[in-house]
Amino acid sequence: MADPAYRINVWINEERFARLQNSPVADMVREVFAGLKVIEVPVSEEQKDRILKRFPSAKCDTATTRTIELLPRAAKDLLFNLVAENRSVEVVDRFLETVEAQP
Amino acid sequence: MQAGSVDNTLSPHGGKLVERLADPAVARERLGRLTAIPVKDQTARECISIAYGFFSPLEGFMGRADVDAVVHRMQLANGYVWSIPIVFDLSEQEIAEYGIRAGDTVLLTYQGQPLATLDVEEIFDYDKEEMARHVYGTTEEKHPGVRRTYAYKDRFLGGRITLVNEPVFNPPYDRFWLTPRETRQRFEANGWKRVVAHQTRNVPHSGHEWLMKGAWFNAEADAILVNPVVGEKRVGDYIDEAILLGHDMLRQAGYFREDVHTVTMLLWDMRYAGPREAVFHAIVRKNLGCTHHMFGRDHAGVGTYYDTFAAHRIFSEIPDLGIKPVLTLEWWYCPECAGIAYEGLCGHKDKRQAFSGSVIRSILLDGVKPPRMIFRPEVFDVVMRCADEYGFGTPFVTEEYLRNRRPVFTLRPLDAAERRQAVG
Repeated sequence: MADPAYRINVWINEERFARLQNSPVADMVREVFAGLKVIEVPVSEEQKDRILKRFPSAKCDTATTRTIELLPRAAKDLLFNLVAENRSVEVVDRFLETVEAQP
Repeated sequence: MQAGSVDNTLSPHGGKLVERLADPAVARERLGRLTAIPVKDQTARECISIAYGFFSPLEGFMGRADVDAVVHRMQLANGYVWSIPIVFDLSEQEIAEYGIRAGDTVLLTYQGQPLATLDVEEIFDYDKEEMARHVYGTTEEKHPGVRRTYAYKDRFLGGRITLVNEPVFNPPYDRFWLTPRETRQRFEANGWKRVVAHQTRNVPHSGHEWLMKGAWFNAEADAILVNPVVGEKRVGDYIDEAILLGHDMLRQAGYFREDVHTVTMLLWDMRYAGPREAVFHAIVRKNLGCTHHMFGRDHAGVGTYYDTFAAHRIFSEIPDLGIKPVLTLEWWYCPECAGIAYEGLCGHKDKRQAFSGSVIRSILLDGVKPPRMIFRPEVFDVVMRCADEYGFGTPFVTEEYLRNRRPVFTLRPLDAAERRQAVG
């Protein structure tokens, strides 16, 4: 996806980083804020609206960072698992399929 | 002094610190004869704030003339600047059932205990949509302040209140509760003549820390008063305990010297009124004795309702309040400067790494410890301790926290209050 409208930052601790070894996604891990690892998952406008509808407590910072923040921990874990299993950051459609199928 | 003119810098708004506290023994004598009206959380908090003078010169809930002047001219009927209506709402049916008439004195109760008397000077209605349009600049119900306005019942009772039962603040709030009089006494005891206020509802990250340090330099201040608002919470907010103890930790861990920093709290339900709320915050902190108040980007804003710097511009559009606004731009992490940098100084804007409060919360939600450059480890540790001790495992407000949190304050039966006063 070229120039995504929005992003979800998946913050990477040691445990998550270990799961990405030998995956092409490891090369997409960036370091920000003087040593914090992050993977940026691209999100389209339409996907952003669906995510905010499914997770009302989440917020889209349209002014500063253009990121979707405050997704519940379980949702972020699912997103990371999809990234690790699919060896790709293009996982938001599958993420939405999963969470929208849940009651 | 002419209404609306400048007070001397350290005087309260309106020139006199309001204190409306009754002797419990005297109060109990009268209370049995009064109609008791249970009040909601917001009204209880506002009774306490009015009675101790946080809202000076207000002596009670506003009548129609004050509400009308606030809504349309952002001032009280007497001309003093005021930006947010402070009202007590009841339904017409409740007023009929209680038999309340103008001229009556009623007893407001909370937690099943007496709280304050209200001398009902008038009962009136007001167009809530008109109120919302002027105060919030929108009538959209998704704005939390508008929603709060629309939730008011259909009648308002204006009149002076008198606190008859002083609240007892529970740990850890008891360490941070100071009345305006006590706050001023602390400033005086510490020799602080220039104090800059920091309004917050967040656990501090380095952007907040540097906002405060920058304002301290800018104001040539003796000290910083961190004054978090404690009021209605929403799911996903930081829990109040983490906010207060996190800020206090910045000083305990030495990021601020002991003699330049203090933390107290304000009972207030955020209206998210952007520039109008900025004016309100300035007035309240003036009443605490502050000489300066810092305002960052999007102060007290929500969504995209207000321009990023609307709260900066408003202070040039109103009479001098006697508390100086310290207007600040953004602080960010700059990989070129290899540190926290200020928008007004850093020439690497295209490489900046902005961190909003939401970004930091997102990191914590992921269970990741942020680098000390952007979030102090001592603050992280105390926030996580608060999660265990007060937050049912998380530093963020949950439904469980809303249901079962420890109360901020408790009202005791009046005879216990009398005994407390006698001992005191």
